[in-house]
Amino acid sequence: MTGDGRIVLRVDGLRKWYGEVHAVDGISFEVPTGTVFTILGPNGAGKTTTLEILEGIREPDAGTMEIFGEHLTRVDRATKQRMGVLLQEGNFEEYLRVREVLELFASFFEASRPVGEILELVALEDKARAYVKSLSGGQKQRLALGAALVNDPELVFLDEPTTGLDPQARRNIWSITSDLRSAGKTLILTTHYMEEAEALSDHVCIMDHGAIIASGSPLELMLGLGQETMVEFSVEGLEDRELTALAGCCKEFRRDGDQLTVETEDLVPTLESILGWSRSRSLAVRNMVVRQPNLEDVFLSLTGRKLRE
Amino acid sequence: MGILRVARAHLVTALRERVTLFWFLIFPVFLLVLLSAVFGRIGEGGGMQFEIALVDLDSAGEGSFSSIVVGVFEELSSPREEGKESLFALHRPAADEDPAAFLADETARLQRGQRAAVVVIPEGFSVGVQSALMAADGGSPLVVRYSEGSAASEVAAGIIEGMVAGVDREIQRRAGRLSEAGEVVVSDVTVGGGEGSEYIDFLLPGIILMGFFVNGLFGIPGSILFARDRKVLRRYWVTPLSVPRYLLGLSLGHLTLCAIQFALLFIIGRFALGARIAFSGLDTIGILVLAAATFMAFGFLIASLARTGNAGMAIANVLNMPMMFLSGLFFPVAGLPAFLRAIIRVNPMSYLAEGLRASLGVQAATQSILLLVGVPLLWILVSAAIAARRLRWDVAR
Repeated sequence: MTGDGRIVLRVDGLRKWYGEVHAVDGISFEVPTGTVFTILGPNGAGKTTTLEILEGIREPDAGTMEIFGEHLTRVDRATKQRMGVLLQEGNFEEYLRVREVLELFASFFEASRPVGEILELVALEDKARAYVKSLSGGQKQRLALGAALVNDPELVFLDEPTTGLDPQARRNIWSITSDLRSAGKTLILTTHYMEEAEALSDHVCIMDHGAIIASGSPLELMLGLGQETMVEFSVEGLEDRELTALAGCCKEFRRDGDQLTVETEDLVPTLESILGWSRSRSLAVRNMVVRQPNLEDVFLSLTGRKLRE
Repeated sequence: MGILRVARAHLVTALRERVTLFWFLIFPVFLLVLLSAVFGRIGEGGGMQFEIALVDLDSAGEGSFSSIVVGVFEELSSPREEGKESLFALHRPAADEDPAAFLADETARLQRGQRAAVVVIPEGFSVGVQSALMAADGGSPLVVRYSEGSAASEVAAGIIEGMVAGVDREIQRRAGRLSEAGEVVVSDVTVGGGEGSEYIDFLLPGIILMGFFVNGLFGIPGSILFARDRKVLRRYWVTPLSVPRYLLGLSLGHLTLCAIQFALLFIIGRFALGARIAFSGLDTIGILVLAAATFMAFGFLIASLARTGNAGMAIANVLNMPMMFLSGLFFPVAGLPAFLRAIIRVNPMSYLAEGLRASLGVQAATQSILLLVGVPLLWILVSAAIAARRLRWDVAR
């Protein structure tokens, strides 16, 4: 963990209910300066609602917030001067040029970075004179990130920054966020991509149904599953009765169509029994992978569901 | 700082988008040129004159009702002062010509567009009027033939009808049916009027108001609602930009757009179409600003009533035509049915049109200055109050 260990953001008992729907159901966490804090969870878990409260576009029903050492019931304008926000959904006027959008957003703040620097940061120098209308999805997202960074914020909220982007555009965003972290910014990120959470985060909290169900560094969370190893493989035309036989030799496994995942603490005997099982039944085992558990497995073991369904 | 950037963003996006550019700038200019070409005869510098044929099939002699009507038309077709054109160029059959044959010829000319109207005094007209006065039932009515395809012809027919209505009232008054002739003859009040003003001078203020109106009615709700629907606004609200600052910027951008619109129309009206009116008086400028502000407030009102941008455009579309045409912007409104006159009486456009034309000396005001300024002001206050309460700045969740 980097930074000086001071807490930039603290949330206690934050709650937002919409009638019967408990969008955010009394969550508490704190984020030290200079770290990347990720909220991971499926769609509808309450990630975006949590962020929108912290960004100042929704008011909580209950709970307290402390941002930059100030106790707040709702995020005020002075706090927004020091924050940068990349909303999950949003647009710019189609007939503004890239540079004009950044100039517009820069004018909303008391102090801002030179627009040229921002263009360079998000690699849009070539597009400075292009209309928003003409940008690709990835370019629009980089522009949005640029607009979120015009005021050189200490605290940056990124709500699903890479959703809907192609792999190249996603890597671009990741590289910019890594640079921000290196520059000592505090980042609060939501995502439902576990690769993203693993790659970028210092701290991950997993949210489901408005509550935090697990919290820790990616490594801590994965180690929390025990000393297990995952064996993944697929078997074409797998039938249920074959599975009964497999259950005899492997305790923990799950099936997703033709895809099987076996959890084991003792890798070699497990591999031998899988191979023996397939040989005795003349099944073709394909694409076998042995790997360490990831955040997806953590979520699955906690909720019995996958992150993206 | 934020305010000026918001103003600039509103202005440049309006000017860059082809649809808005067309409706806010090109369309008013087009309408101005078109209408003045149709009614004002560009380049001749003259007022408007209609070619009218008059046939008196009654021929009831001196002092009859038909001779009164003929007298009125002759009066209107003789120039009032040296060098001025009269409203009508009157064509009558020669002394030895057969009136029926003349009528057939003139009707053919009307169809070819060479006559704006043919007025026929039918046989038995004078007797009919007399018996109508006695028994209060209709005799043979005066017939005005006009061509529906031709705008000039329709306008001429309208003027004649108004005139005839005036003649009718005059006859009734003389017959003791009406105690006081309190109403005015509409004929030469509006078009090519007696004070030396040309049609373009009447038209230009109207087109300018129309431009402001369309601009406010569509431009304001369009900007706010589509930006809200597309979550352009939400991106502003996570910054320190406040709603009042955004509104101030938007209003400033909008008024600048109105100013550009005005400048364009004024330059074309003045230098290409020969308008002589000057918009330099303080009262004129005041009314122009009041008009732009009124229609802007109207735009905010519509924005506050609509759930989406498309709904806002639908509301604006519904209000657009009635508000524009029931206002005296393009033609006189006397003689319309009472319920339509009631709409005109609450329509701020009526007061703004009258106030602007009065301040320019194109047409005398019939209402007090208090009403001319007060009614639009009241509209601004009511619209702003409703908008402030109802307008939502982010999409419903």
